[in-house]
Amino acid sequence: MLVTWKYRFRNSFLERFDPRARWFFSFLVLFSIIQFWDLRFLLFFFALVMVQYALGRLTWAETRRVWIFVLILVVGIVALNALLTGRGGPGEVLRGGHVVWRVEWKVLGLAITPTITVERIWFAISQIVRMLSISVLFFIIPYTMDPSMYGVTFRGMGIPDRFAFSMDLAFRFVPTLARDFGTTLDAQRARGYEVEKLSGGVIAQIRKMAPLIVPVTMNAILSGEDITNAMDLRCFGLQPRTWVHELHYRRRDYVLIGLGALIFITSIVITAGFKLGTFWVPAWALAWAR
Amino acid sequence: MEKKSLWVFGTREVVYAAIGAALYGVFSWVTNFLALPAAGNISLRPAVAIPMFFGIAFGPIVGFLSGFVGNILGDFLSGWGFWWSWSLGNGIMGLIPGLIGLLGAVVSFKEKSTLIKAEVLVVIAVLVGMLIPSLLEIPLSGIDFNTAIVGYWLPAALSNIVNGLILVPILMVAYDAVVARSGR
Repeated sequence: MLVTWKYRFRNSFLERFDPRARWFFSFLVLFSIIQFWDLRFLLFFFALVMVQYALGRLTWAETRRVWIFVLILVVGIVALNALLTGRGGPGEVLRGGHVVWRVEWKVLGLAITPTITVERIWFAISQIVRMLSISVLFFIIPYTMDPSMYGVTFRGMGIPDRFAFSMDLAFRFVPTLARDFGTTLDAQRARGYEVEKLSGGVIAQIRKMAPLIVPVTMNAILSGEDITNAMDLRCFGLQPRTWVHELHYRRRDYVLIGLGALIFITSIVITAGFKLGTFWVPAWALAWAR
Repeated sequence: MEKKSLWVFGTREVVYAAIGAALYGVFSWVTNFLALPAAGNISLRPAVAIPMFFGIAFGPIVGFLSGFVGNILGDFLSGWGFWWSWSLGNGIMGLIPGLIGLLGAVVSFKEKSTLIKAEVLVVIAVLVGMLIPSLLEIPLSGIDFNTAIVGYWLPAALSNIVNGLILVPILMVAYDAVVARSGR
């Protein structure tokens, strides 16, 4: 069984940045986005993350699956929540509003009145844009960041050596363990085990996964003893370690972090200082009400 | 015999955290075909038993890293992207079973009392671990509390509890035989 990372070198503009600078920028933008409910500001952030997406030189074929997943999630769950209940949003969404459509159903003597208001429609649009912005901000990371750099990146962000090395090691183990899994799957199939035709209910199906999960796990644990011994023999952890790859901040990385900080501070000033950025409904949209 | 600290993170823990994370990532990737419908960004993952089991066997930090890094790996391999709040929740799902040492020394992994303690911790771990990212969706996605509970927490918690309750004891009994054989 072959396992492949979604990353490949694309010679994109994004790949020229230090991964640490990109992480800092992403989190600063995230903490900026969640301060806003005003669609005008949210559209700015959406445009910003789409520029970042374009700079990653990603193709539709590569990201189609995640786009569909994110759109179903956002439109299906979030918008439905906003349209039918409006809860979680600003107060005016929950408290009445300008009715566009209302129907009354009688279910077992109880009156149910799903109501769509201008405010709820606008809240749903704002929520979709906000969720999409957050999703796109982060889903490009596996496609545009080299997995071999994660350990040194997190070490460079202040995570202790042992934790960073453990993360690095995890990325390296994946192909080996995927191969072991493939070997085990073939061995079990030779014994008549058919993973594609697991019968029974959910519990029975989960139990039937044990012949695959247990041998691979126990084999990995046994081989882990050898790796531990090898590392101990090389005096692992006695001194700060060096890394094969070294990261150095360049001017463009400071610019990126500075841009993230500027966006974050400006967001705080707008929301806390000028009291802007709260939920907004344009006056012209109120004409939709009947 | 010197009592080993629950929070030690030496060479052995570094290696097993990495193995746990890689296993969780790979198993999540191969079991993605068991998608649970109508549960937001949650899929039915028998692999969730891995961080819980690694927590019990190697301590809370190993359990946390197995869950946290493993979820990132699984999402990366499947192409889902990076959902940091759910990775954090998966980390907590591995951390809490690792506290089994606080309930008394583990002499044997197949002893009935140890298995019962592990099962109780698995349930607590899932309930707490899935509650945190579900509640984080309120400020992040702007959903309401009811949607967070019904749309995210309940389906995720129920499927993970079933997976954990079935697979963790099986892994513990198998590991007990490995421990007995290797003398560790």
